[in-house]
Amino acid sequence: MNLTMNLYLPIAGNSVNCLAIFGLGGVVGLLSGIFGVGGGFLMTPLLMMMGIPPTVAASSDSNQIVGASTSGTLAHFRLGNVDIKMGLLLLIGGIAGGGIGVQIIKILRQMGNADFLISITYVLMLGIVGGYMFLESLQAMRKSARPAEQQPQPRRESVYARIVRSMPLQTDFKRSGIRMSLLLPLALGTLVGVLAAIMGVGGGFIMVPVMVYLLRMPMHVVVGTSLFQILFTCVSVTIMQATQNHTVDFILALLLLIGSALGAQVGAKVGKKLGGEQLKILLASLVLIVMVKMLYDLLVRPDVLLAYMGGH
Amino acid sequence: MNTNRLSRLALIPLLALVALAGRPAQATSAATLTATPSAIRIGAQYDGIAMHVAGTVPAGSEVILRFTGAPSELHLREKGKIFGLLWMNVGKVSLDNVPAVCLVDSSLDLDNLGSVAAPFRLEGLRDSVVVNETAIEKVDGGGNARAAAIDGDDDEAAGKIDVMHELLLLKKHEKLYAEAAGGVRLGADSGGSRSFSATMAIPSALPPGQYRVEAIAVKDGAVVDRQTTTVEAELTGFPKWLSQLAFNRSLLYGVLASLIAICSGLIIGLVFQSKGGAH
Repeated sequence: MNLTMNLYLPIAGNSVNCLAIFGLGGVVGLLSGIFGVGGGFLMTPLLMMMGIPPTVAASSDSNQIVGASTSGTLAHFRLGNVDIKMGLLLLIGGIAGGGIGVQIIKILRQMGNADFLISITYVLMLGIVGGYMFLESLQAMRKSARPAEQQPQPRRESVYARIVRSMPLQTDFKRSGIRMSLLLPLALGTLVGVLAAIMGVGGGFIMVPVMVYLLRMPMHVVVGTSLFQILFTCVSVTIMQATQNHTVDFILALLLLIGSALGAQVGAKVGKKLGGEQLKILLASLVLIVMVKMLYDLLVRPDVLLAYMGGH
Repeated sequence: MNTNRLSRLALIPLLALVALAGRPAQATSAATLTATPSAIRIGAQYDGIAMHVAGTVPAGSEVILRFTGAPSELHLREKGKIFGLLWMNVGKVSLDNVPAVCLVDSSLDLDNLGSVAAPFRLEGLRDSVVVNETAIEKVDGGGNARAAAIDGDDDEAAGKIDVMHELLLLKKHEKLYAEAAGGVRLGADSGGSRSFSATMAIPSALPPGQYRVEAIAVKDGAVVDRQTTTVEAELTGFPKWLSQLAFNRSLLYGVLASLIAICSGLIIGLVFQSKGGAH
């Protein structure tokens, strides 16, 4: 019996080993289930290593995330971990921000500085977000080791808290157990949208820290709400890429999805066993590792000095 | 009118005779070339194929075998050093007439065949590929000047990379370009000809299109015969159907891809829930 595990992908224009794609999906799904990030910043480079063109890798990954985040959102929704009101506000802001970001990229490309700005934004964002989360979680873990009061607020943050309180249109976010102005998630969503569009990523790894530190949502609600929001973003990216660039390989996406759905279910369990601070410190480490890899790529001469358009 | 046509018809064999007489003597010795399979069908199970190429060439000659095809335009990003420190995309370069695939094999080490082999080697693509220099746009006037000034000693940083060299590297990384030697087996001379055969590994990333298999017979530093045959690579079965949907009805394809992903996600979520999974 000739049981071959290879499958030809017509849009990617190459054949892949199904088991390798399942495995890849599984690993990224695990991380996605634990942290509520889309995992696009990991998946795309790994797919490129398997011979998938960068544009197809990025678009098909968005298609895959649609499925993975549906499954994840469902699981978190049942647990009451999805703040739909907050998610929708962030989404509206994100869409507006995405539009602004695309325009910024266009202007920068005309000026000729886009790629430089993209790389620097990427490294700086990863470094700042990862570094801050890592240090903050480390401090919190040390404090909670001693039976002390709730983590004391740093001075800088209390100024921020006062500004937040003085904003108009205050409303309750029941799921998250917080009260703040409608404008804040809208504005932060826009900011993340701009950054995500500039960097060409879903933005999960920026959105999660924003929810934790700037919106002060509880970690478990953050993960569910982030997945809810990512679902909508990726549906729009999938349809846009399919119509404009014909780069969505739906078979590749389905293979990845089956792997990542399994991974995400395991991830959700693992995430529940870990405490909020442990989750944060792990995500921070992951973000820092990606930053180091990017920095390495920037500093070391590439093997080939030509590259295909698209992807990172 | 009828006699006019007849006399024209009578001319044809005469012209053919003249044409044959004008060709080099070796080429008349029934040189042949066949490629099996004669068409590459890219179905769901396609993972590259081993193409068998066989034929005859004039006696005593060595054989260079080439599989090239589907020339197209290519737009690439060019990497360079900025501020003498950071490697990133600094510009675009447009190339034209770039074969998607170029595989070269021979009966003798290509270096030993000397200059006669040069146009048929990968490096020989330098003569046919058009590098559109004007399309190379730098970071900006200032950025380019800075890079050039800081790394005056470094050609790469100054934006003077050898585009063709890098293209060959890129394609070799993807296994779409390859150059080997000794893969062509030669038979003994019999009469005025000798047979040859080879197996070429056609890559899995082969784009659909028309390809050309070429056998070049080389003797005493000169090309004595050249045979070509064409091989068509086309999508078939499920990949063909999916590709047509994606390109011709892209909105439907995008919506379907999203819907199927959402349904799969829901099904997977429900399956895990019922098994007591998911938290």
